[in-house]
Amino acid sequence: MVKHNDGLKVSRRDFLKTAGALGLLAAAGSSIPLSIFSTSCTSTKSSTPTTAQELNLNLAGEPAQIDPNRASWAAERSVISQVFEGLLGFDKTLTVIPVVAKELPTVANKGISSDGKTYTFNLKNNVTWSDGTKVMAKDFAYSIVRMLDPDLATEYASFYYPIAGAEDYNSAGTKTATEKAALKAAVGVKATGDYTLQVTLGDAYPVFLQLMALWPVYPVREDVITAKGDTWTEAGNYIGNGPFILTEWVHQDHMTFAQNPKYWGTKPKLTKITYKMITDANAALAAYKNGELDMSGVPVGTEKATMGDATLSPEIVRNADLTTFAFQFNVHVAPYDNLTLRKALSTAVDRASFVDKVRGGVGKVALSWIPPGMPGYDATLGTEYSFDATKAKALLATALTELKLADASKLDLRFQYSDTASNKTIAQFLQGQMKDNLNIDLTIEPMESKAFTQTVNSAKYTWAWYGWGADYPDPDDWLPQLFGTGAGNNHTTYSNPAFDAICKTAGKELDNAKRLQEWADAQKMVMADAPIVTMFYRERFNLVKPYFKGLTPTGMDGQIMGDQFWTNVTIEK
Amino acid sequence: MGKYIIRRLLWMILVLFVVAFVTFCLMHLVPGGPWDRDKQLPQTVIDNLNRKYGLNQPFFVQFKNYIFNAVRGDLGVSYIYQDRSVTSIIMGGFPVSATLGLVAFLIAILVGVPLGIAAAIKQNSFIDYFAVIFATIFASMPNFVLGILLMIIFSVTLHWFPTSGWGSIRQIIMPAFALAALPAAYMARISRASMLDVTRQDYIRTARAKGLTERVVLIRHILRNAMIPVVTIAGPELAGLVTGSFIVESLFSVPGIGRLFVQAVSQRDYGLIMGTVLFYAFAIAIINLVVDILYGMIDPRIRYD
Repeated sequence: MVKHNDGLKVSRRDFLKTAGALGLLAAAGSSIPLSIFSTSCTSTKSSTPTTAQELNLNLAGEPAQIDPNRASWAAERSVISQVFEGLLGFDKTLTVIPVVAKELPTVANKGISSDGKTYTFNLKNNVTWSDGTKVMAKDFAYSIVRMLDPDLATEYASFYYPIAGAEDYNSAGTKTATEKAALKAAVGVKATGDYTLQVTLGDAYPVFLQLMALWPVYPVREDVITAKGDTWTEAGNYIGNGPFILTEWVHQDHMTFAQNPKYWGTKPKLTKITYKMITDANAALAAYKNGELDMSGVPVGTEKATMGDATLSPEIVRNADLTTFAFQFNVHVAPYDNLTLRKALSTAVDRASFVDKVRGGVGKVALSWIPPGMPGYDATLGTEYSFDATKAKALLATALTELKLADASKLDLRFQYSDTASNKTIAQFLQGQMKDNLNIDLTIEPMESKAFTQTVNSAKYTWAWYGWGADYPDPDDWLPQLFGTGAGNNHTTYSNPAFDAICKTAGKELDNAKRLQEWADAQKMVMADAPIVTMFYRERFNLVKPYFKGLTPTGMDGQIMGDQFWTNVTIEK
Repeated sequence: MGKYIIRRLLWMILVLFVVAFVTFCLMHLVPGGPWDRDKQLPQTVIDNLNRKYGLNQPFFVQFKNYIFNAVRGDLGVSYIYQDRSVTSIIMGGFPVSATLGLVAFLIAILVGVPLGIAAAIKQNSFIDYFAVIFATIFASMPNFVLGILLMIIFSVTLHWFPTSGWGSIRQIIMPAFALAALPAAYMARISRASMLDVTRQDYIRTARAKGLTERVVLIRHILRNAMIPVVTIAGPELAGLVTGSFIVESLFSVPGIGRLFVQAVSQRDYGLIMGTVLFYAFAIAIINLVVDILYGMIDPRIRYD
């Protein structure tokens, strides 16, 4: 047999040897420079005289667009709040305060007319844009009218329909250019002086000042927008009047902010903020542990494990959101149209067990709709729906008699949900509760996310999960558009003329105490009719590095906890 | 060969048109649209948005407008990232995915092919068993499991690499390895099997019988023939890697086009969906054409007319 492998053997061995050596060299070579640059290691550093005041946070995704007039998502607000400031704002207790305005308009200081329809804002005259020019009333007038432009198609325009002429202008998309121009001129927002802005409403609207504290009416620069068009929101063109400026935006990767050198107010202590865009929750936590992020959430379901972890548990910070989650019924679809049945189902759900098992103990049981931290929260409301299996069974028996059904197996109850892992857990929890407490077989129906949204919005669902977060902290945002007859976000199809009547009066009531009492009565009405089964008030659960001081979480935060007050933050290493 | 290429390019135009039409139909047939939100928008606002993006026009008018703009290079605006054109988004994301894909491809080839060749030459030796075990493990491990493992070991514990992001060489290594694992395993298996098959062919016997050195037999005869199947699969592998992996890109926050595409579909961003699908179809068609031509150059038995 001819030995022909000898030559091969040598060359193969050589080949493998060289390949292996090269591989090891490459690994060694790449590891050396890494440890030099990696400042996240727990190596001892000589203490620097001043710690760099730089913050690294996770925006968890790219904002769709950061034009204040057009923004609607939480991630966008996290950016806009740093670069812009409005006439009014919210302090950390969610009270409306003047920011660019000299003082809050009231009837007493003639800022609000006695009929409540005309608002006059006096601006401070030392507020500057980041390029040094002064912020004037015309910037606000331009911004508000631009926000109502039908061709710009902003998503928050309808919130400002109380302004005279706003709805007509915003609905004028199909009209001719001359008609549009006329309607635009008729909008009740005018700069009556360099530093005076006058807004006329169609009717008195007591929460109007809260609307003026929101981002769609932040000032924007007409000359910049005209000159740069769609690129005005890129770093470098993005001129704002807030404490920070956007210095860098690498799309889909990160955003960097620096101090605004021309800021008119107290300069923040932070010199640099970086928003990374890590979408995966596990990767974000790994980045936090590796020192790349100064604050991070934890993957859903790991909250209990985090609370039990000795290193991580001292770094936990929790804050209540102004968000309520509930199950909603379609009250015009049998058998959910029967009030006793709805009450039975509501009493049969163990909310404490839900918060503990499904939410990992993060969040508070909700027995009524409006969450704590907001005016209108009523801790005594809804106690009749506290979990009570015996009571639930009795109510169910009554309901079956009313529906003329022999027993629970004749009920065909279905629950639709958007098919994600967390929603599936919620659906299965509900299914379990129905079986254990009422011996009802609930059919759960998963749907694709947008298909589910469409089904709910067109009221074709029967029973579904629902959440609502505050646009502004007032019952005005929580009741009429959700439970008013035919209202835009009324997916339960709940219709109660008495409720509609209260909405009408409370919506215009200028006496605040009286107004809040009317909303309290309205909420009682809704809870008595049980179109929803309130489940829990959401809480944010974050890990925060010990050197991250001054974090100020509020109920109106955007995507990132505390993002309304980065001006309070210092880094103390 | 020239006529073959021209014919293929003409077919490609037809394919792109059909792909555009089918995608357009599917997009509009699927329930839900770009303006469906949990907090429902008022009808006036929806009307304004539909008018702004031309969604209020009849179906075929919208398609005709889209095609007319597309041939002029204007793929429209994204519905979600409303200030950016689809072209600029794709041009921003594609180089990232392509770089990551190419690095992963190189790793797969440089690791997988030599391993497979060595395993075949030294059949039933330690190298052979190692290669087969390696291939089985990395072919069955999902790339997000591998990705998280790499992140925990090399970032959180050893602090060698940053966990995520893009821009420096250190940030490419982990996602590239996570992405390369499966193709590497696949290449190892294919090259090993192909080498074993070719070594047993008659013409190799003839070459040895003619007294050629084993080195010449290996390089000029065995390797050249054994690489044909490897090139055949390398082409589609490269196409798949370069168009981006949603999972690895999401995990390591790589700003590539794979992640963008899946997000666009779930958010019904019609503009970005159409643009990305057309771009993918174009890229894959071109890569397949290049592979076929390469194939023709390597294998003298193939003739194109």
